[in-house]
Amino acid sequence: MWKVFLKELKEVVRDKKTMFFMILLPLLLFPVIIGGVAYFSSKAAKDAQSETLKYAIVNPQSAPELTTAIRESEGFEAIQMPEDADIREWVKTDQVDFVLKVPGNFSTDPLQVNQNQLQLYYNGAGFNAIKSRLNTLIEPIADRVQREAFARLNVTEEQQAALIAPIALEEVNVADARENIGEIVGGMVAYVVFILCLQGGMIPAADLGAGEKERGTLETLLISPIDRNKIVLGKFLTIAVAGVTTALITVISMAIWGVLVGQGLAIEAINKFLGAIDLMDLALIFFMLIPVVAIFSALLLSLSIYAKTFKEAQGYMGPLVMFVIVPVILATLPGIELEGVWAWVPLTNVALAMKELIKGTMDYYQLIGIFGSTAIIAGLLLGFCVHWFNKEKVLFR
Amino acid sequence: MIKISHLAKKFAVENPKKLSEQERQDPRLSGKYFHSVQDVSLTCQKGEVLGLLGPNGAGKTTTLRMLSTALKPDSGDIEIDGVSVVKKPLVARKAIGFLSGATGLYGRLTGRENIAYFGQLHGMTTQAINEKIDQLSEVLDLHTFLDRKCDNYSTGMKQKTAIARSVIHDPSLVVLDEPTTGLDIMAAQTVLDFINSLKEKGVPVIFSTHHLGEVGELCDRVTVINHGRSVFNDTVETFKNLAPGSLHQAFLNSLAGK
Repeated sequence: MWKVFLKELKEVVRDKKTMFFMILLPLLLFPVIIGGVAYFSSKAAKDAQSETLKYAIVNPQSAPELTTAIRESEGFEAIQMPEDADIREWVKTDQVDFVLKVPGNFSTDPLQVNQNQLQLYYNGAGFNAIKSRLNTLIEPIADRVQREAFARLNVTEEQQAALIAPIALEEVNVADARENIGEIVGGMVAYVVFILCLQGGMIPAADLGAGEKERGTLETLLISPIDRNKIVLGKFLTIAVAGVTTALITVISMAIWGVLVGQGLAIEAINKFLGAIDLMDLALIFFMLIPVVAIFSALLLSLSIYAKTFKEAQGYMGPLVMFVIVPVILATLPGIELEGVWAWVPLTNVALAMKELIKGTMDYYQLIGIFGSTAIIAGLLLGFCVHWFNKEKVLFR
Repeated sequence: MIKISHLAKKFAVENPKKLSEQERQDPRLSGKYFHSVQDVSLTCQKGEVLGLLGPNGAGKTTTLRMLSTALKPDSGDIEIDGVSVVKKPLVARKAIGFLSGATGLYGRLTGRENIAYFGQLHGMTTQAINEKIDQLSEVLDLHTFLDRKCDNYSTGMKQKTAIARSVIHDPSLVVLDEPTTGLDIMAAQTVLDFINSLKEKGVPVIFSTHHLGEVGELCDRVTVINHGRSVFNDTVETFKNLAPGSLHQAFLNSLAGK
């Protein structure tokens, strides 16, 4: 068995195309994706903050203080609105970024006019920061007006707070940083790792089964005096190792870049989160991955040996990704916990267990059941694969 | 001695509607099964070369695949030196060296690694493999390219390497399925020389071919298969006497059952 395994592994390592997909891509792709998304989203937010907004104010004379504040702050450019223009239509034609409609009875004495209702017309399709930028100008005025009114009514500062919010709700979240982030990251990790294990095994699998048929080496291999199940096991192990290697490299790459980003940008939460996960949990996550990889490898090898050509094999493997994605996506959905029915759905339960492990809230006894059931499925599939390899109908199709 | 008696093999037909016109008219098609090989018998003594002839689709490859244990016959028996291949396939696998015109090599391994891999599968020690490779590369002149990757080989180099691979374990019977089909004249000659060298060593060879010239030149015995039945099975002299002066006519006569 080891002879077959070593030889197959040697071939995989020498295949530049496979190596590219297995190592280089996850190593470089993730930083590029993560960095790219971070760069462009921060750039968009920055642009929205600093771009010059064209605006017009209806009834500016009613609120001279606010009008002056906007006019004098940087990044605002006043535009004269035509007399007969309909505000909605005018804003829609992109002549201005926003129109602020001040009511005629605007007053800075809240005791006289109750609440002032200002209307902000803007085109909300697309990313912008108009409201938040206006609020930073309006708030100081509103605060001052509020304080003056309270002062005239002889309300103390404590009473002011109580008047503004008679009943306040203070949140005390007992979940630590790890559980919080784990809920978000955990599902993602399982998703990425599963898909990569499958993807990483795919190209070698297509080569090891259908590739041998296509090249005409399979027949010679089958009639050599080595047990069929040893051939299957050797090939199976190669695919499994390829899948695990791909997943490991990716996860390590993600972790390293996560730490770098965390340290570099000094994001407290990420550092705390990564620091809280101990080696034991990481080892358990890896341990849970073994039967899953075995399931994938057995499936891939079965499909591959059935196919006549490399191309046909890849055709069969494409839909397999869809079958794997569904149970894993289920595990990332909020509200689906590792209990009841979900603890018995194959793949979903492993994904959920991985999430729990990352969150640090795993019931370790449950892990035994999940590992056991997944291992049984993997064993059955491997058995099927050996059976498949003994069928003339499959081998000489 | 190799003895094949009343060998038969049928394949299930998945969808009879998909068969070609020619296949549908084949008398071997009955119901859901295609009786590819119905009754093939032949014998080959030690040191003899047996040529297997027959039209395309006659059942030559299926017969040789059963002989090489890749396929399991439905009925009949194959004996190599008195041991039944059907009952003890492992013994046969150790005894047989198999090569076909379509046999490939692992392109990302070197020629030496390809040969050594099959040596390992045959349970040979590293030392025995190395000695045998040295010996074979002398005979087949492999030195110049043995340590290069097979992807870059010419057809002739590939065929020489494949030959070395098939005899790495010193087989007591060599089975060749259309070994010269698709090869250029030089590469084909390498194969024929190889068959000759086996003959000199007393190793029996069974090979299928469409080239009657090869049969006249090399073979001691001839077996003709048509529609899954052996219609001729005798010495090459008897075969030539079917139509003196023309091997082609002899072949056609054997098919017609004259």
